[in-house]
Formats: sequence, structure tokens, C-alpha cells
Amino acid sequence: MPAIAVDAMGGEHGPEAVVQGVAAVSRQTDIDCVLVGDEARLQPLLEATAYNPERIAILHASEAIGLQEEPRAAVRYKRNKASLFVCLREVAQGRCAAAVSAGNPGAAIAAALRELTLLPGVGKAALASVYPRAAEGPEQDTLALALDVGATVRCNADELVRFAVMGSTYARVISRVAEPRVALLNMGRDPLQGDETLTAAHRRLRDLPGINFVGNIEGHELTSGRADVVVCEGLLGNIVLKLLESVANMAVDLTSSAAQRTWRWRAGMAIMASGADRLRALADYASYGGAPILGFEQVFIKAHARSQAPAIANTVKVAAKAARDGLIPALRDALAPLADE
Amino acid sequence: MNADPTPLIFRWDLDKTYLLSEFESLREMMRIPFERAEDKVAAPGVAALIRGLRTTALGRGRAVRVYFLSASPPQIGRAIRRKLELDGILHDGIVFKDQLQRLFRGKFRHLREQVGYKLTELLKARQAEPPAAREYLFGDDWESDPLIYSLYADVVAGRVAPATLSELLQAARVDRPLIEEAVHLAAALPHADAVARIYINLERPTPPATLRVYGPRLVPSFNYFQTAACLFAEEALSAAGVGDVARELIEESGFTPIRLANSLDDVVRRGHLPAPMADLLRERLAIAGLLPAPARPRYRRWWRRSAPPAPAAPPAPPVEYRALVGAQEGAAE
Repeated sequence: MPAIAVDAMGGEHGPEAVVQGVAAVSRQTDIDCVLVGDEARLQPLLEATAYNPERIAILHASEAIGLQEEPRAAVRYKRNKASLFVCLREVAQGRCAAAVSAGNPGAAIAAALRELTLLPGVGKAALASVYPRAAEGPEQDTLALALDVGATVRCNADELVRFAVMGSTYARVISRVAEPRVALLNMGRDPLQGDETLTAAHRRLRDLPGINFVGNIEGHELTSGRADVVVCEGLLGNIVLKLLESVANMAVDLTSSAAQRTWRWRAGMAIMASGADRLRALADYASYGGAPILGFEQVFIKAHARSQAPAIANTVKVAAKAARDGLIPALRDALAPLADE
Repeated sequence: MNADPTPLIFRWDLDKTYLLSEFESLREMMRIPFERAEDKVAAPGVAALIRGLRTTALGRGRAVRVYFLSASPPQIGRAIRRKLELDGILHDGIVFKDQLQRLFRGKFRHLREQVGYKLTELLKARQAEPPAAREYLFGDDWESDPLIYSLYADVVAGRVAPATLSELLQAARVDRPLIEEAVHLAAALPHADAVARIYINLERPTPPATLRVYGPRLVPSFNYFQTAACLFAEEALSAAGVGDVARELIEESGFTPIRLANSLDDVVRRGHLPAPMADLLRERLAIAGLLPAPARPRYRRWWRRSAPPAPAAPPAPPVEYRALVGAQEGAAE
């Protein structure tokens, strides 16, 4: 399998975390990686860690896109030399099997739209994200997939249907869920609730063969095990995802600060230490690895911007799995019946 | 071609350098003496490399000697000699550590002591060679090879005086008779900058940057293709010899041309192999199908070759042996 192109300059923890993550992958797996970024910065970082040189190449890119940079400006001024663009071009031109970036999400979507090719019949790409939820049984994954969480602002019903098909295919191929339960995020379970777009999307998904559509899902049900794939338009998805993150962080902060107040709380927290650790792990979105930007002919996995080395390593493994297990042909097959609509 | 009368000497450690010996557990260690030659596994590419070094030197009319120095007991000598024979390795001597003798003398601590033992053996062996003989040393990152080989190189070159050597060996808690012997041997040696390079096989997950303290003479190497490429640049191995190592890695160890190319790029980036030499090697091995065809545009290769040579690197600072011995003893405790 060709290598995975990794944007080494992206993310809050910069090239250090990415290099360490890729170095770990090179030692633990047979995945080949191309680190794309400033060679003069990457090489000393690589040498300072244990790695397998057979599985790592460095492709120099002289510029990087910061997390706070305006995506349109990045596309305009850094298109030729920024690591993110160079990384995606490696995939677009077939030299690499998949791309990974922990960088600026807006720039990642803009760069993908510029460098990659949309799948037949797909008008808009969707940024997916995994989030923790309470599994209904031991066989159910503790992570669910939500899309779109920010690649679009508004969508029409056709686009939501395509997001559902893509999310369902991803869950089937990557998370190995035989029949992923797909739900539409709405303000109530009633199929007639919401605006015209949501009611039309509900109607079409209900009648669509090959999709295990379980109907509408409300905000308070997101963290239940009712759906494996939650579909919504980007504006809503982005707000929901960030709200989930902030609530989880707040729960962790409250528990920690409460434990500092009195000795009784401290003792209680000591007893509940493993539970608190589990809560912390659940709230640590950066440890989940990446989620795909779906809709392209190429695999592009976006890691959380706060990803540390283990999360980067997980993201690279997900990208390799997606390439190896034929995510793109599966998406093409699943979307084919919708191509003429 | 005028034959160079001074020999090239290649000194090899055995376990973890030539052989993929497993001694991470006591059980594995106990099994080693009972292994047959057929059970022993050589590191990928190492046999082709040693054969290539001898062929290259002889082809250029240069005398060549290959020695092995092992901390294993002489009781395994028969299996080792048979293994080398099976691998087609001609050698000029193997030295083993007589563990039983130390055991009888009650020197239990010195069973695992390497610095004094190996350094003394290296200095003894050096006495037998002409002062101008050039040496290449091969070890691994498991025990103290980087320290021992560097110290040996600097003692032979006269950069570490016998009195300093004595202090260092005391700090390394070497047996007193061995210190006296090493100091005596060091004092009797004619000074010559004899050690060209030290190659350390990175068998453990050692970050190569941690070995920079030993200076540019020491090359941490992840596989024997990297070592072969550096020896090509040193003119100790022909391109065909490097090709044989590459072929052995592809045919027997699952390497691919891309993975070999990545290894080559890595050793260039780490500064141990000049880029023009790597380009030359890339072209020759690509013709043989052992590396992917160079992707770089032709003008750039031409530019690299015709560009003025890079300014000579400033002389490397002396190795801080006191700190290194202190760190090693600290880690041992």
C-alpha cells in the first residue's frame, strides 16, 4: 500500500506531537508515512525519538498554516508551499494512499475542496467527528459518528441524504458496524417536525434501501446508544459538537475543583479515582484519533487540533485502514444509486 | 592500480551486531550456548556486507582483515565458526570472553563488565597491526560499544593519555589488573588516527540523537543498507557491494525499494552520508531495480555534482568521556 501523507506542521502541539506519533506508527506497524513539513524542523525532532527510518520519508514544505489563520487567505497565499496543500497533492496525484492533518479545520476543508476530487454525485463534502456515547451493550462501539460538523453551513435534503449514506458506509467499513443505525438530528422524533429540508430528508432516508434509518434523534439522545451515525447540517453539527466538548470539559473541571475544597470531597474523589479517570478519558476528544472529511475520491482524515502523539498515531492507523479496506470504492458503490438524482 | 600495503581492518562485535541474538530474558540467555550454527540468525544484510568489504578491498589491491570480538564464552566458538562458514564469511580471528575463568576467580561482577575487557582486547589486537592500518568498528547499542570503540579510537590516536585512561577505567569500575594492562598497552602504542568510522547497529529503540555525544566519527545505523551506503562513501565498499546488501534485504527480510530509499534518505538527513554520494548510489541501484528511479529533476542532480564542495565541517569537539562514563555507571546503579 502506498504511504500515508501526514501534515507535520498542523495542530496545537505542532510538529513535535506529529513526529512522535508517526515515529510510533513506524515502529509498531508496517504503515509507511510521508511527513510533510519543514525538513529543518522535522529532522531534529525525528532524530530525538525512536523510529524506523524504512517507513518514514520527509517531504519538504516551506510554509505552514496556523490554527488561527483565515482559511480563504491560506488558500490564496499559501497554496503552493504550505504543508497541508503539499500533503493533499501527494494523495490527489496518487503518490500517497491517504492524508492526515491535525491543522486548521477550515483550511483543511478549503484545501481539500481545492486539491481533491468530489465523488460522483456529491455536491458538498462533510466533516465527520467521533464523539463518546453510552453503549447499549458490550458489542456496541463507545464512539458514534456525527456529520457534518463544519464543512457546510446549510444543506438541502439531497445533501443530508448523501451525508447519511457516506456516514453509514464509513461506520460499516471502518468501525465494522454491520448495519449502522443512522439518525437525523432534529428537535423531535416526529417525522414532520423541523423545516422542509429535514422533513424531506427524513422521507427520503426512510425509503432509501441499504440504510438502517432509525428516524429523528433529539439533542438529549445524542449520547445514548440509539444511533451510530448522526446526520445534520454543518452549522448545527459544529455547535452541537463543541457544546458536547465543553460540557465534558466542564464536568471534569467541576469534579477536580470540588475535590480541592474539603477533605471529605478529596476522600470521595480518591475512592472514585478510576471513575474520574474514565470521565477524563471520555472528555479527552484529542485522544480519539481522527475522523474523515467525506465526499472525496481520496481518503482525508482530520485529527483533532489538540491531538497529542498517541492520537496522531491512531489517526494514521485509521487512514491506513480506510485506504486498505477500500473505503473509497465502498463509498462510490453506496452513492452510485444517488448519482443521477 | 597501485596496491596499498596497509591493511583495512574490520572489527565486528558478534551478538546484536552480527547475530540477532535474543537475550532479553534469562531463559533466552541460557539457551544461547546450546544453539546450533543452523539455529543462529545473522542480522539482515550483514553477511553480504562483510563479504562485499573483503571483495572490494581485494579488488582494489588492498590487504583486508576481518576480526570478531565477542563477550560470549569460548564454549560457543564452534557453533559461531560454523555459522560464519555457512554465511560464507572469511575471518582472521575471533576473541571470546573466558567467563568460566572469571567465575572460578570469584569475579562475578566482571562477568557482565564490558569496557575493560573489550578495550584491552582491542588494544592487544592493535599491537599486531602496522601503525598505518585503517580500522572500521562495528557494534550495537545494547552494551557499551559506542563508549568502548570511541575510547579505543581516541587512545590509539593519542587524544586520551594513559593517565586519563586509567582514571576513566577506574570510574567505570573496571577490574584493576585490566586497568593496568590497558594503560600499559596504550602507552606502548604508536599514535595514529587509525579508526575511520564506528558503526553502531541500532537494535534497541535508541533515538539516534542520543549518540551525537560521540561525534561524527560514530554512525548510528538502523540497518546494514545504511551502513553499506556510508562505507560506499568512504570508498571501502563498491556500489555492487551495496547492491548485494540491498538485494539480501529485499529477498530475505521483506524490504522494498521504497523502504531502502527511505533508509538512504534518512542517513543523508542525519548528515552521515554526503548527498552527492547518495545520488550516485541511487542512480546505480535504480538501474539494478533495487531502488526506485530518482524522482529529482536531472538539472538538480547535475547542479549538486557541479556545485562547489561544501565548506569543511569544523573539527568535532573532544568526546566528554568523564561525563559519559559517569552517566553509564549512574544508569547501571
